[in-house]
Amino acid sequence: MADTSTRPSPALPLDLARETEWPADPTAREDALREENARLRRICQALMERVEAGGMGGGAPYAAFEHSVLLAEQVRERTEQLQHTLDALHRAKSEAEAANLSKTKFLAAVSHDLLQPLNAARLFASALDDQRLPEPSRRLVGQIGRSLKDVEALLGTLVDISRLDAGVLAPDVATFRVGELLDALAEEYRQMAAARGLALHYVASSVVVESDLALLARVVRNFLSNSIRYTERGRVLLGCRRRPDGLEIVVGDTGPGIEPAQREAIFQEFRRVGPRREQDRGLGLGLAIVDRISGMLGHPLALASQPGHGACFSVRVPYGSPAALTARRQADEADPASHALAGARIWVIDDDPDVGDGMRALLEGWGCRVVTARSLSELEAEIGAAPADVLLVDYHLGSAMGDGLAIAAELQRRQSQLAVVVVTANHDAGVTAEARRRGYDCLLKPVKPLRLRMLLTSLLAQR
Amino acid sequence: MPSSVVDEIEATSVRQQPLRTASSHCREPAGAAAELARSLYHADLGFVLFFCSAEYPLAELGEALEAAFAGVTVSGCTTAGEITPAGYCRGCVVAIGFDRRAFAVAQALIDDLEGFDLLQAQRLTGELLAACRRVARDGEGGNRFVLTLLDGLSSSEEQVLATLDAALGAIPSFGGSAGDDNRLAHTHVYSGGRFHSEAAVVVMVETRLPFEVFTTHHLRPRDTKLVVTRVDRDRRRVLELNAAPAAEEYARLVGLPVAELTPAVFARHPLAVRLGEAHYVRSIQCVNADGSLSFYCAVENGIVLTAMQPEPLLDDLRDVLAGLHERLGEPALIIGCDCFLRRLELESLGQVAQASRLLGREGVIGFNTYGEQHHGRHVNQTFTGVAIGSRPRD
Repeated sequence: MADTSTRPSPALPLDLARETEWPADPTAREDALREENARLRRICQALMERVEAGGMGGGAPYAAFEHSVLLAEQVRERTEQLQHTLDALHRAKSEAEAANLSKTKFLAAVSHDLLQPLNAARLFASALDDQRLPEPSRRLVGQIGRSLKDVEALLGTLVDISRLDAGVLAPDVATFRVGELLDALAEEYRQMAAARGLALHYVASSVVVESDLALLARVVRNFLSNSIRYTERGRVLLGCRRRPDGLEIVVGDTGPGIEPAQREAIFQEFRRVGPRREQDRGLGLGLAIVDRISGMLGHPLALASQPGHGACFSVRVPYGSPAALTARRQADEADPASHALAGARIWVIDDDPDVGDGMRALLEGWGCRVVTARSLSELEAEIGAAPADVLLVDYHLGSAMGDGLAIAAELQRRQSQLAVVVVTANHDAGVTAEARRRGYDCLLKPVKPLRLRMLLTSLLAQR
Repeated sequence: MPSSVVDEIEATSVRQQPLRTASSHCREPAGAAAELARSLYHADLGFVLFFCSAEYPLAELGEALEAAFAGVTVSGCTTAGEITPAGYCRGCVVAIGFDRRAFAVAQALIDDLEGFDLLQAQRLTGELLAACRRVARDGEGGNRFVLTLLDGLSSSEEQVLATLDAALGAIPSFGGSAGDDNRLAHTHVYSGGRFHSEAAVVVMVETRLPFEVFTTHHLRPRDTKLVVTRVDRDRRRVLELNAAPAAEEYARLVGLPVAELTPAVFARHPLAVRLGEAHYVRSIQCVNADGSLSFYCAVENGIVLTAMQPEPLLDDLRDVLAGLHERLGEPALIIGCDCFLRRLELESLGQVAQASRLLGREGVIGFNTYGEQHHGRHVNQTFTGVAIGSRPRD
């Protein structure tokens, strides 16, 4: 105990938070004070050193720890800010999406409204064509018909591209013989080719494939019309090649071909290659649609071309199972006999009186007995208790009247033998699917007279 | 269709067991590795994480694990005690098997801790991200966290972690420093088929399952403050506190003679630095012959240490586990890095069995560390880890 004073060992605790109790003895007290003073000086020095390092410990370990704690606080604040920005971006994105959706809806509504009068005009023209007319008038009617067809094609293209972009068009995949599609297309385009002085060579095939018939038809039509449009002389070839992973439908021509540099560009919107021709009334959307459809169906496209010698477009379609072919499709192929419609009793319900009148003119031209009405009550007033063979009903009647499906169901309840054809300008696959589920047939507006006639023939044949 | 039934069964089993756990008390390396493999191995085993006692002959254990899990990446480290499915354990090995259908895991070794700079950290992060993407089953969509296992006696944790954290950016990270059953001689991390010292393992996990990286401690500040007045920063030693020999001053604080300063005392009377509102415990490792104190973390001249006092550890643990359960649903697993000083405290209070039950019930697997890591910070005397939910969020 005696020698503790030789070293200034801290005899007393130094509690920085509290006042120290000092010894009563003056000498001991002075020693204690001196000692505490020395220690406080040292502490002060260490603290000053620390403060002056200012957290910039030159990469010292403790500084790294302190730095990461401070950084974490900053990161937390920054993360909060980013979260706010992200939220704002999400809001902006959903607003943009909503705006886009409303434009798509607007376009669909406009096209619906445009298709209605167009449908009526087509039917009128077709009915007029069936009448005995002097030759000059007949030519004029023919031209009206072609012009309306062009308008329809353009409108259809615009609707298609908007629908493909909006992702509302769902493919309706079925199994069919490729010949079903290509035979008809070959026939159709052979005349067009002949009109331009070209030969169309068609190699028929009966291979069974799996695809959306209507969408695939658009693709092949685009190929064919492009080939015919751009080929000055020579021939156009339509045929198929069996590949291990699918059937390649090929359209070749002896036209100008496509430069390698342009092979990507021709699949973009509003692009044309070469000079514009006067009979060319397209929008340059054809291959852009083909590209989207091929993407949607998962059918790869291919293009082979030797500039100056010709081009060869192809689409590869997966094979289908022959067993899955339905009997119904074969029935559809049956050639409609012209007299089959004579005397058939047909009801037409459409809220547009022009469409109704157009339909009446067309159907009466085929010898049908037609009752047209704008609503169910109007029809009831017209018919009394008389039955009918077929009901043609517009899917989209004015909102107060309910949709065509409901009216069809009501009429079928009263008369179970009634065959129903739903006519719709709504290209939504859901509508046609629902109609088919109920056992109804479906026709898309504008109604093509030939298709309507074939359908009516086959419906009446089943009765 | 039979195949769809099989798929469904498999999907169900993935849902129920995206993570399998196993432990072995076998003292013999080949036996232990075989026992783990029997429980963990299946066709979709993508990654194995293990924690083992430092008492194993490590070279042999490394080879045995490499052989038992041929073709599967294995990472791990030595411990100061293991947390098995049955709770606290010593002298054993515990492991977690990650199903590759639910987890994309990549790992890397940092074998030069001294020279680990930001450039290397960025490269390492990029490689881990790319590797995760390569092994991910369903491409995009998962969230990521990073687990770090460091040699607990390397004295490089702070710099390595700060550097790595800067490169990881927003990816949350946590981890533990390897232990060696309180012998303070050799701690090891395991990667690429063998054990390494003076090294770190970084494991990146990507999953669609919800998870939360957490840390907790049960210590509250007292009024008493000590100022560090002399350090040997390379050796993490505090030579003087309040301008008096460090061990003596600390002994006075706790009211015990220097000779009785043991890890159990350090556990009960921790010191912490305060930064902003938070206190970060700086744990004392041992008393040296020269009267200085060695720490488990970096120390510096002029830092102010606040004396801390423990509140009931089990209450805090229970609260934290309940909170995780509430936020994530039934946890599939919690990987826990639990400071060995906490275990010492539980042992001295006779609460080890209670804690084991609590950990086992919430599915905690992990080890007792020589320090924990949380978001790039080296912390002490905490329970730090990640809780992984068993069902993806909608």
